[in-house]
Amino acid sequence: MSVTTEDASIKPDPLIMAKVKPAPIDRPPLVENNRDYAWITDKICRIVEEKTPTWWWVCFGVASMTASFTVMGLIYLVSTGVGVWGLANPVNWGWAIVNFVFWIGIGHAGTLISAILCLLKQKWRTSINRAAEAMTVFAVVCAAIFPVFHVGRIWFAWFLFPIPNSNWIWPQFRSPLEWDVFAVSTYGTVSVLFWYMGMIPDLATIRDRATTKFRRLFYGVFAMGWRNATNHWRNYELAYLLLAGLSTPLVLSVHTIVSFDFAAAQLPGWHTTIFPPYFVAGAIFSGFGMVLTLMLPLRAIYGLHDIITQRHIDNMCKITLATGTMVGYAYSMEFFIAWYGANSFESFAFVNRAFGQYWWAYLTMVSCNVISPQLFWFRKIRENPAAVWIISIFVNVGMWFERFVIACTSLANDFIPSSWGYYSPSIIDILTYFGTFGVFSVLFLLFVRFLPMMPMAEIKMVLPEADPHHGDNDHH
Amino acid sequence: MPQMKRKSYHTKPTTEAEFKGPNYWRSLDELQGAPEFQEWVDQEFAEGASDLSAPDRRNFLKIMAASFGLAGVGMTGCRMPERRIYPYSKQPEYIIPGVATYYSTSMPFGRENIPLVVETHQARPTKVEGNPSYTLNGGGTNLFAQVSILDLYDPDRARKHHDSKGNFLSSKDVEAILAEKASNFKDTGGSGLAVLAEPSSSPTRARLVKAFKAAFPKAIWAEYEAVDFSNSSKSASKLLQQPSRPVLRLEKAKRILSFDSDFSGFDVHGTANARAFASGRRIKSAKEATKMSRLYAVESNLSLTGANADHRLRLASTNIPAFVNLVASHILVDIKAPDGFSKEQQKWAEKCADDLKSKKKQSLIVAGSNLSVEVHSIVYAMNEKLGANSSTVDYVAATEVSESESIQSLASKLNKQSIETLFILGGNPIYNAPGSAQWSIAQSKAKEIIRLGYAEDETSSSKGKKPTFIVQSHYLESWGDGRTWDGTYVPVQPMLEPLFQGFSDIEVLAHLTSDPKTNGNDLVKSTFAKLTGNSSSRAFSKWLSEGVLSKSEYKQISGSTGDSPSNKDFSPRVTTLSKENLELRFVPSSHTWDGRYANNGWAQECPHPITKVTWDNPILISAKLAEELEDVIPEAWRMSDKVFGQSLNQLVRRTNEFNRGREIAPIAEITVDGQTIKGPLHVQPGIADYTLILPLGHGRTKAGRVGEGTGHDFNPIRRSSDSSAISGATIRLTGDTYKLANTQEHWSMEGRAIVREATAEEYSKHPEFTSTLGMESHSPKLYPKIKDVNTGKWREMTEAEKVKHVPRGNSAYHPPNFTEIEKKSDRLELLIPGRTSRDGLFDDDPDNDEVTQTYHQQWGMVVDFNTCIGCNACVVACQSENNIPVVGKDQVLRGREMHWMRIDRYFSNNAYREDGKPDKMEIPDDVQVSFHSMMCQQCDKAPCESVCPVNATVQDEQGLNTMAYNRCIGTRYCANNCPYKVRRFNFLDYNKRQEGHFYEGPLGPSGVNELHQMQKNPDVSVRMRGVMEKCTFCVQRIQEAKINHKAKNKGSGDVLVPDGTIQTACQQSCPTDAITFGDILDEKSKVSELKSSDRNYAVLGYLDTRPRTSYLSKIRNPNPEMPNAYLQPFTRKEYESRNGHGGDHGNNEDSHGASHDEDSIHKN
Repeated sequence: MSVTTEDASIKPDPLIMAKVKPAPIDRPPLVENNRDYAWITDKICRIVEEKTPTWWWVCFGVASMTASFTVMGLIYLVSTGVGVWGLANPVNWGWAIVNFVFWIGIGHAGTLISAILCLLKQKWRTSINRAAEAMTVFAVVCAAIFPVFHVGRIWFAWFLFPIPNSNWIWPQFRSPLEWDVFAVSTYGTVSVLFWYMGMIPDLATIRDRATTKFRRLFYGVFAMGWRNATNHWRNYELAYLLLAGLSTPLVLSVHTIVSFDFAAAQLPGWHTTIFPPYFVAGAIFSGFGMVLTLMLPLRAIYGLHDIITQRHIDNMCKITLATGTMVGYAYSMEFFIAWYGANSFESFAFVNRAFGQYWWAYLTMVSCNVISPQLFWFRKIRENPAAVWIISIFVNVGMWFERFVIACTSLANDFIPSSWGYYSPSIIDILTYFGTFGVFSVLFLLFVRFLPMMPMAEIKMVLPEADPHHGDNDHH
Repeated sequence: MPQMKRKSYHTKPTTEAEFKGPNYWRSLDELQGAPEFQEWVDQEFAEGASDLSAPDRRNFLKIMAASFGLAGVGMTGCRMPERRIYPYSKQPEYIIPGVATYYSTSMPFGRENIPLVVETHQARPTKVEGNPSYTLNGGGTNLFAQVSILDLYDPDRARKHHDSKGNFLSSKDVEAILAEKASNFKDTGGSGLAVLAEPSSSPTRARLVKAFKAAFPKAIWAEYEAVDFSNSSKSASKLLQQPSRPVLRLEKAKRILSFDSDFSGFDVHGTANARAFASGRRIKSAKEATKMSRLYAVESNLSLTGANADHRLRLASTNIPAFVNLVASHILVDIKAPDGFSKEQQKWAEKCADDLKSKKKQSLIVAGSNLSVEVHSIVYAMNEKLGANSSTVDYVAATEVSESESIQSLASKLNKQSIETLFILGGNPIYNAPGSAQWSIAQSKAKEIIRLGYAEDETSSSKGKKPTFIVQSHYLESWGDGRTWDGTYVPVQPMLEPLFQGFSDIEVLAHLTSDPKTNGNDLVKSTFAKLTGNSSSRAFSKWLSEGVLSKSEYKQISGSTGDSPSNKDFSPRVTTLSKENLELRFVPSSHTWDGRYANNGWAQECPHPITKVTWDNPILISAKLAEELEDVIPEAWRMSDKVFGQSLNQLVRRTNEFNRGREIAPIAEITVDGQTIKGPLHVQPGIADYTLILPLGHGRTKAGRVGEGTGHDFNPIRRSSDSSAISGATIRLTGDTYKLANTQEHWSMEGRAIVREATAEEYSKHPEFTSTLGMESHSPKLYPKIKDVNTGKWREMTEAEKVKHVPRGNSAYHPPNFTEIEKKSDRLELLIPGRTSRDGLFDDDPDNDEVTQTYHQQWGMVVDFNTCIGCNACVVACQSENNIPVVGKDQVLRGREMHWMRIDRYFSNNAYREDGKPDKMEIPDDVQVSFHSMMCQQCDKAPCESVCPVNATVQDEQGLNTMAYNRCIGTRYCANNCPYKVRRFNFLDYNKRQEGHFYEGPLGPSGVNELHQMQKNPDVSVRMRGVMEKCTFCVQRIQEAKINHKAKNKGSGDVLVPDGTIQTACQQSCPTDAITFGDILDEKSKVSELKSSDRNYAVLGYLDTRPRTSYLSKIRNPNPEMPNAYLQPFTRKEYESRNGHGGDHGNNEDSHGASHDEDSIHKN
């Protein structure tokens, strides 16, 4: 297989091919500057092996401190009551659920990149999938904090699990929150498995290069006796494919089910059939936004330009553009249906969303999610890492606001005007939320420092050297 | 639900020795009379104990709680009173734990007593209800009677008698002091002795006052009440030349005109008036619609009465006397119409007078108590002319009203002559005397002050002279008697021994007059004997048991009030008011009355019926005045108000500013005659343009932990206690703002068919109008039509049929047959297979082979919008019955009030813009008010149930949407998905933590106040934080009634609780019987009857939640002749401007006619 023509699945008819030479599509290589196996191994392993850089300590310190906000916020919450947040009647779900959906959404890119792109044989995913998967796992961790802690009596949260207790009361299987329990826990489990399994060959590499006994032991345990044997590889690739197949529906189902939290309720603004696809598109959108936000700085810090190439960035920008546009379509379709449905409660909810008391949230959402990614139409923007990074931040912000707009504005002004209210978060809400960025960063920094950030084995597979036949139409 | 077998533990009657034992709140040491304890008491509560500030008080409570805890054995509750009290209707044998006993009593409230029945558990009163034996109230109460029980358990109430230096006195010492005073003043004939008391309706009090005056002829006897409603009586007494008062018979009135009167609200006899008024508004069918009464109201404040008026005219109170003359000029012969009224106002008066005249003997004019005696006499003359006397109004001889001096004359006497001893029996004059500063000076002139007070308030802790303080007992712990407004003789029975050895006013007076009987019980007994001429204890106990003495009302006076006014030259003029010449009108607070309920959390947190503000008394101003003051009210951001045909209601200027859901009120300074007060402004529709409404009763400086720091005190600029309006005030905005805890931000119904309304005219022509409104009228029918077995006609399914045949709770299964009667033998087979003995399961009755295990009555409720007047009595009744916590102003500001029941209040207006759409941007001045009592609707297909992940809220067999508090983990999804927003969440530990310490978590003080705990209803669990709660249709009452009924009809198979046996707390307290509860499967039940009305509908019916609570649409009765006539209620116009005409499109052409006419009228 050649570097330039990836479509191995199209078996050209030799008779025709003999006469017609298709114009080779000149795609940039996935690893630039003709780097070899050794360089890649060294480059990625050195991140783990070198002395801990100062910037890492600084970032880790800041992140831990930020993470402590969440910890303290949660301690206060559990000891005192959910009232320390800004929730009230009629907005009984505030930032907690917004943050939950936000983090779960971010968690989508990892699995999408690993599983769906794997099944679609998109080779360019290799250099970003490991970090994206790690991001998924950590985002799910952050996400899980909120639905667990937002309940009034967390010490009884185990009621959510179908454990037949002495009263023989089962959970309510019709409740979308109950579906969440299964959806999120399944997703979390599969994501961890996928992530960990993919890492095994690389952990073995680090183990083999290890110089200290501790490192040998540590990586050795986690490498699970990987010996690079052919049957290891065969089992590994089969398992990887199975997990990819298993994860693919999960990518779609998790956010579909999260969207049911809203769609299955009957609140105007929530009760919308467009939610499942719209939420999945939004989740992929926000996930890619977050991948960009994380990878661009890492690329700069570790000089990974040869592995995370402009082509990767370009592809991610394009997916962001596509999903952002889908989200924009969903926004406009909601309005169309609100008008077309002739339900005055529904049409009020949407008009109120855009022009009511939370107009600023709606405006932020639309400008960040729909307008800002449109800049990715321009190659100049896509090729400017700084611009891409800034837009990716906008995407993150916009997607948080999208969830805020959906969750809070619908609740604040629903059926009975006498109950209308206004929700604003308390300082505890804000600190707890920003603390989760600390939690996420702590985990991600640990990942960067101690685990192979990129799948060395997979990157090597996309190198020209990995194709012993150098393809049929070799033009090297 | 499993039925538990109740064991009854009969207690022995209390012995003499036990009576002498310790009372609640004292320790064992004291029982032993330990000297160390005495010493400790003295040290701990020596001088200034009454002045304990907040942290000290907490300490005090801690110590008290500790000593209570140490005491332990034998002090687990309250004690029964020593004298025999008699329960209402049911006489249980001794006290059975878990079974409530009901005693009748009455609450003294100014010049009337409100007859009550009090629920007690082990001699611990827990809930106040109206006494149904007093038919005028019909079991209804007002808000204040409901809240009064909490005052009994007020932790800040006075606990110890003390002398002026703060040394504690025993009850014996107090008696000795009183005896000493009695003998001292005997010699001087009472010179140097003055008493300031609160007015009372008690014949015993009147008897003792007489004795007092006889014993001390030179003494001064003065009475004072901050909210005084005596002008109507004064005028009647003057005209009829004997002490008399008018008693309204509103049930007979077809046309009512009210001048500044809140007769069905806060005025005297309000509960009975509301009931009578509602009976004239109750419509059973469309045929009766036009027969309903019509209410005209002319008023400056939007009162509860005015809110229910068919025609309302905003007019400054200053100009109401002139307007009375204007109306009188159309009714009486020699009255000249005053000048200065606009054409429209003149037409209003004329057409209104015509309408009144057209219903001779069936019309009535009522004047508010704030209007002068002269105005009342003109009104009485008009009533005479209209034939109202002896028909719609009776004058009765109010004997036993003791002659008294006013507080002003007492003050001047205090200033002039030397008063040795001043007794202040109750009241709080330093706080609420008009121009309170002057009284404070006058009071300090007395050489010695002896005060009977309920709490250490402003009057007992004035800076000047410290009084000798005698603890006053609560009415629920003292003997007494009284009369209702119409004179019915009612007892005041104690439910328990005074918690803190207090005295009642009659006991103090008895000691002072050296009456041989000093015990309240004996005093009342002898009054009863004198009044009835029957001294048998049987008659007395019958009276106590029933709570009213039948046929004891005051005698009707046959004399005439004259059909021409006595003072023909009384010609009030029309004053032009403006921003520089504002009128001030003082009204009692809906929270605290005159300040007496300031330390009552229920009262403070119960939203004002009109403004929906809690914990405060904002100054109410009209939108017009607000507009003139606009330069200082910050201008809000304004958007185009119409997108997709939806109004966005971004308010500017003529509005209350809300910032993040919290009302930010500008603080204004009101100056009149050089006196200035400060208070926040609230823009209120319906207020006369240049009138400022100042509610009294707030801004207490020494009220206790609840009442301090709430609201503002407007007493300093009052001039007299009769609440009359004063003009000449100016207003200045200070630039400061103040947060108001308003429970309802949005005033408009947004054209949604939530409260459905029509005029009587329309209803009589189109009885089906209710079903032509709402989203469901535009969509296909959800349920198939069925063929009636009896008539053979196709018809809609009734609610009862849906309950039986259509799956509930969005279930895919057919509902189980809840109504089947199973054979006992089958049942046994089913329950214990293989067992032949029937022992232990059912009572063996060989003749009856049927068991009724599966029969469940299906509960439902109907609220009639036509009779609901929005009085809030139900809201507090619910709070009291269901142990609903008080959360405090801060939490209400955050939108976390816990009331299970709320009264939504919507304003709708007639102001149309050029495009014919209602102008919804700004608060209008002339509005119609719609009240909507909202509680859990108990949906058959409840949206809350299917979203709860832990199954904590489920529908039971009786159709109740139940909450399993133990199962609830608090996801709050149910509250989000409830379209009615009736679920309430315990965001913080409202029951366990003290108010003000909610956010301190485990570091803050913990534990329920011992006294407050005593009020809790033992039949209802107290919810912890993190748990959702909501209305349960008072499931504890339902279960109790079912158990009682089953116990009574053991084995007979009759398990159906008869209709009317179960009354929910809200229903019980409702003075107008607007709430009906019962079994909807029983076709004969009252609730089924109402549900079959063509006015019956479900709120948000299009969601198909199938609520068990439905409403009867509201019918207004406008007079088409009036200048402000309307062919459709404003909410209907609002609805149609948004949704178009409802109904079966095209089928019902003529039903649209009305609204088309309407538009043309508008352009005219």
